[in-house]
Amino acid sequence: MGLKDAFNSKVKPVRQLDAERLVDRFAELRLQPLGELEARDRTKVCGEVKRMTIKPRSGIPSTEIVINDGTGDATVIFSGRRHVAGIEHGHCIIVEGVAYADTNRLVFLNPKYSLLPMGDK
Amino acid sequence: MSTQSGNKGLKRLFIGNPIATSEDHHQRISKKVALPVFASDAISSTAYATEEILIVFLSLGAVGMAAYSMLVPISLMVVALLIIVVTSYRQTIFAYPNGGGSYVVSKENLGEKPGLIAGASLLIDYILTVCVSVAGGTAAIISAFNGLAPYRVHICCGFVLIMMLANLRGLKESAMLFAPPTYIYVGSLITLIVVGLYRVFFQGLPPIEHTGEAQHLLEMQGSVTAFYFLKAFSSGAVALTGVEAVSNGVPAFKKPESKNASITLIWMAVILGSCFFGLSVLAQHLEPVKDHEGLIPNTVLAQLAEQVYGGRNIFFFITQFATFAILILAANTAYADFPRLMSIISKDNYLPRQFMNRGDRLVFSNGVIFLSLASIGLLVAFGGLINALIPLYAVGVFTGFTLSQAGMCVHHYKHRGKSWKIHMGINGVGSITTFFVAGIVVTVKFTDGAWIPALLIPTMMIGFKGVHRHYTRVRSFLAPTEGYKAPFKTHTVVVLVGSVNQGVLQAVRYAQSLRPDKLVALSVIEQSEDRARLQEQWDKFGLTIDLDTVVSEYRDLTEPILNRINEIDNMYNDDLITVIIPEFVTSIRSQWLHNQSALAIKARLLFRPNTVVTSVPIVIP
Repeated sequence: MGLKDAFNSKVKPVRQLDAERLVDRFAELRLQPLGELEARDRTKVCGEVKRMTIKPRSGIPSTEIVINDGTGDATVIFSGRRHVAGIEHGHCIIVEGVAYADTNRLVFLNPKYSLLPMGDK
Repeated sequence: MSTQSGNKGLKRLFIGNPIATSEDHHQRISKKVALPVFASDAISSTAYATEEILIVFLSLGAVGMAAYSMLVPISLMVVALLIIVVTSYRQTIFAYPNGGGSYVVSKENLGEKPGLIAGASLLIDYILTVCVSVAGGTAAIISAFNGLAPYRVHICCGFVLIMMLANLRGLKESAMLFAPPTYIYVGSLITLIVVGLYRVFFQGLPPIEHTGEAQHLLEMQGSVTAFYFLKAFSSGAVALTGVEAVSNGVPAFKKPESKNASITLIWMAVILGSCFFGLSVLAQHLEPVKDHEGLIPNTVLAQLAEQVYGGRNIFFFITQFATFAILILAANTAYADFPRLMSIISKDNYLPRQFMNRGDRLVFSNGVIFLSLASIGLLVAFGGLINALIPLYAVGVFTGFTLSQAGMCVHHYKHRGKSWKIHMGINGVGSITTFFVAGIVVTVKFTDGAWIPALLIPTMMIGFKGVHRHYTRVRSFLAPTEGYKAPFKTHTVVVLVGSVNQGVLQAVRYAQSLRPDKLVALSVIEQSEDRARLQEQWDKFGLTIDLDTVVSEYRDLTEPILNRINEIDNMYNDDLITVIIPEFVTSIRSQWLHNQSALAIKARLLFRPNTVVTSVPIVIP
């Protein structure tokens, strides 16, 4: 097994590499890791925007994003909006609010958010 | 479209027009026709059996002149073996009027494993029949035209390819094709033996004079050991190959089938036995020489004919061409039997299903192609020399004989018809004898190449079993239980989107027409600016479905898509995901410019459970 372990430590899957990159990046902010996030607690978390979904329902559009900080991810929904200022792929944001559990994900609905500067640790 | 019909046209040109299934009817054949059709394989082995005995003594054993005194005893032993085997097979003909190949008989009576061993050895046997016969036919040509010797392998492969093409077209086992060469061969052989023996005994025809390599071989002074004696015997035993063909083809005979078949079998045995014995006697007196490396280009038969007819005259050439023709026919019988056996075995789920289907000319095309490729491989590997292939040959033949006869013993014991004990005894003797011969062949020729089938047969059995296990597992998995109803599943449709174009718009419309429970469009983007542009287009065309965008941090397309699909899959327990991929279809010239990533995604999704992949094509003329 020694050889296999050595191989695995050298050749990490991309997913894990990315997670390590994000953990490094957010380490100094000392916020709650998303992996330990619980529903119904007021918290402050951060993460990089990994996915954006624009739901163009007539009348009630919404923007749904998924953030990830390397330990886990959370969904943030901005209802009534097709565009949220500063929210774009690869941007990092800090989210403050209360998450609720929806099937198997944790969702922040219209939380307070602040942008982290780009390209700066 | 046009290119497709173009390909078909090329195939038609070579293979011919397709034949309807209802056109398939087996014509019944008379004994006169059956003899050439079924016996050409067996009788053709006289062309090389004597030669193989001589090669063992002269070239491998280096016994010199002593070899010729051994020829007759060995050929008598082979003839005795032939009588035993033929008597045994006569009973198979009566017991299995629907055709009793070794595979069928041993599988029915002895069980799965012996049946598979018989099947494997028969398949190997047929491949080698092609190789040995083609090599023999080529040797006959080379004997007539010595200048062709350097092209031996090329000629062999050429003949195999021609036969493949002819059999893909579908050769009727027609009298016109088979009868003349077989009868001419038998005629020329009998003439050669009679004239030769007459000239030897009454005109004092001297032995052939040899020079060079041949002279050298004859000067050897080794003694005949039991090992080389057995080796020579096992080489001579290849004369028996193809004897089983009659019993396989009983249904093709005119009524009464079994009786006609058994008479044909006996004719064949008489012709085969007497020709083989006659040739051996003639060779004893005329002393032809052959080595195992093919340095002496002329076959023993050619040397005999040249000496008997006093040079290379018309009789010599007739003999050579008849030999060539019957050997090619013999190879062709393997082309009839091998694909048929493969289809029987694959019908029993031991071989891939592809071998079961008949092509558009009503022949088992895949079997024909497989046989040709395997034969060409062997011919190239062994340099197209018969004597290199012979050690591989006899093992399968005698394994098949043994199992078939043993199966017949069990058959007699089970049915216990009239005088079953006698019948069982005959088959028992046949089985035991052939078993011993098989044992001898494997032992004395193990290092010469008999190890190849000895290794290959068990390997093939493992393969058969594996295929069977797989098919059984699949079938038991798929079989619906009592009152099974297919479950309703949550249906999620994911449309993969690169940019907004006609193809994508059509794909989205198509996806909407499926009325799924959840519908999203998924786009993998490289930079965040791309998303804004895509979103703008999305709004412009008034698309009302959710647009998911994921950024590909590592410039990979497949991985983010798979990750996203996994996420969607995890949302429900019992869901079905349809992935819709818009694809451009252009012409065969430029198709490779498109859809490369679609191909990669499809390949990755193929093995994903509960995933449907749909291509929505947009044809660009």
